[in-house]
Amino acid sequence: MEFFDCNCWYGVPMSPPLDPAPTPAEVLAEMDRVGVQRALVRNCAVFEESPEVGNPLTLQAREASDRLVPAWAILPPQTGELGDVATFLAAMKAAGVAALWAYPNAHRYLLNTTTFGALFEELQDRGIPLFLPREEGSGGLMCYAAANEVLRDFPRLTLVVAGHGSWGEDRYFRPLMERFPNFAVDTSCYELDGGIAEICRKYGPHRLLFGTAFPIMRMGGAYLGLLHAEISDDHRAWVAGGNLKRLLEQARL
Amino acid sequence: MNFTSPIVEEYVAHGRSADCPVINTHAHFGPYKAIYFPMDAPEQVLHTMDACGVRWLIAAAHGALVDTDRGNKEFAEVIARYPDRLKGYWAINPGYPERVVREVAAFEQFEGFVGFKFLSDYYQYPITGPNYAPALEYANEHGLPILLHTWGGSPYDGPDVVEETARRYPNARLLMGHAGYGEWERASQVARDYPNVFLELTAAYRVRGALEIMVRVAGSEKITFGDDHPWFDPRYGIGGVLFAHISDEDRRNILYRNAQRVFGLPV
Repeated sequence: MEFFDCNCWYGVPMSPPLDPAPTPAEVLAEMDRVGVQRALVRNCAVFEESPEVGNPLTLQAREASDRLVPAWAILPPQTGELGDVATFLAAMKAAGVAALWAYPNAHRYLLNTTTFGALFEELQDRGIPLFLPREEGSGGLMCYAAANEVLRDFPRLTLVVAGHGSWGEDRYFRPLMERFPNFAVDTSCYELDGGIAEICRKYGPHRLLFGTAFPIMRMGGAYLGLLHAEISDDHRAWVAGGNLKRLLEQARL
Repeated sequence: MNFTSPIVEEYVAHGRSADCPVINTHAHFGPYKAIYFPMDAPEQVLHTMDACGVRWLIAAAHGALVDTDRGNKEFAEVIARYPDRLKGYWAINPGYPERVVREVAAFEQFEGFVGFKFLSDYYQYPITGPNYAPALEYANEHGLPILLHTWGGSPYDGPDVVEETARRYPNARLLMGHAGYGEWERASQVARDYPNVFLELTAAYRVRGALEIMVRVAGSEKITFGDDHPWFDPRYGIGGVLFAHISDEDRRNILYRNAQRVFGLPV
């Protein structure tokens, strides 16, 4: 069974985490220490500076190790920093990047059809997953409301909310799971006792992706939480890495 | 994977350790307004405890944090059904000062309660305020533990407030719930400087680097494990302790030895 962390970054943010991870080496060391085989990573410059800076920097992770898979961040096509939709998708294909993150608060845009309709149409058709960090919303509300708005217009889009808050958010995200077949959350901070098991039972194992929120959070908690969650080994393998692996392999760049 | 720690190896292999049990010093019971719990019935709580090697769970009922008079008594009935696995914190609500004296007196009438629970931030009332004084004086007189919700920067229960409380009531054993979340160094200093102050790990276990600060500054003898159960799965919190950069002696101190000592519980 492969543990493939979907929510992991490195780099030098404005305010350092308690235990910084400035380079891919720190990510790899923690992965080895815990038993995580691969990670979908981004350089924190994608959200701290700009995707213009962070997207190319993130490609360096793959140079450090093929266990690190780069992900990029999006910006509104209208301002052109990352080119128009066709140019951006071509750049993704050239770089072999098959997953994207959105930071609507940090980058000050509306995550909706007006802004991203053309891009989301392509992402939906190509099966390219979009990750939305939970901390981008206030108390979860804005994040899940944005996800709901996007998915109403693009119901087949793979949208993953990452970084569950400490307070329960099942009342926010379970309706989205019920309605949209490709909506998922990561397990980095989904600590609810019995939560993983109940999601697998009610919605299937494809609605959860193993994540750690490294380097803010330890990898060990999310790892042990999933390793011994009361689910079948088949479901565990999907959540641990199978889902992310399949998403990245099936994305048509 | 080859782990250098036998405890880590055992937990990874089996999800629990016969040799290194867990005492959960920060838990809750019953429904709560802000969160859905799939595993909050008493039998489900016991099931999770068994699966994760949790020997004892010390909890305050959610209902008792709102209506102490009703909630504490209802929880006493649950504890009475599982006297060899569950212990209780008797919740004190400073918002009803006329009740506090009466409820401190009632504490002795119910079996299975091992201390008080203060949730000062939520009541927006400082631990050092006069409404808490009857409970603190009682705890000081009897050497009783109090689980304090503590949070970095809080004027109600931040590390500075805890220090003042520890100075005033040197015989009350103060557990800093959430370890003064965010003010890791300062909270650890208070735990280091006051024999009656301990750091409790709920939510703090997940923050990379926090536990290492606590062990370095306060020492692992001053830290207890907790996870706000049923909010959080103990596996997640235990994993945070297991994979921290600390020794197996530290892990044993944190996971059960210190709680044994503070609460006088057998394992």
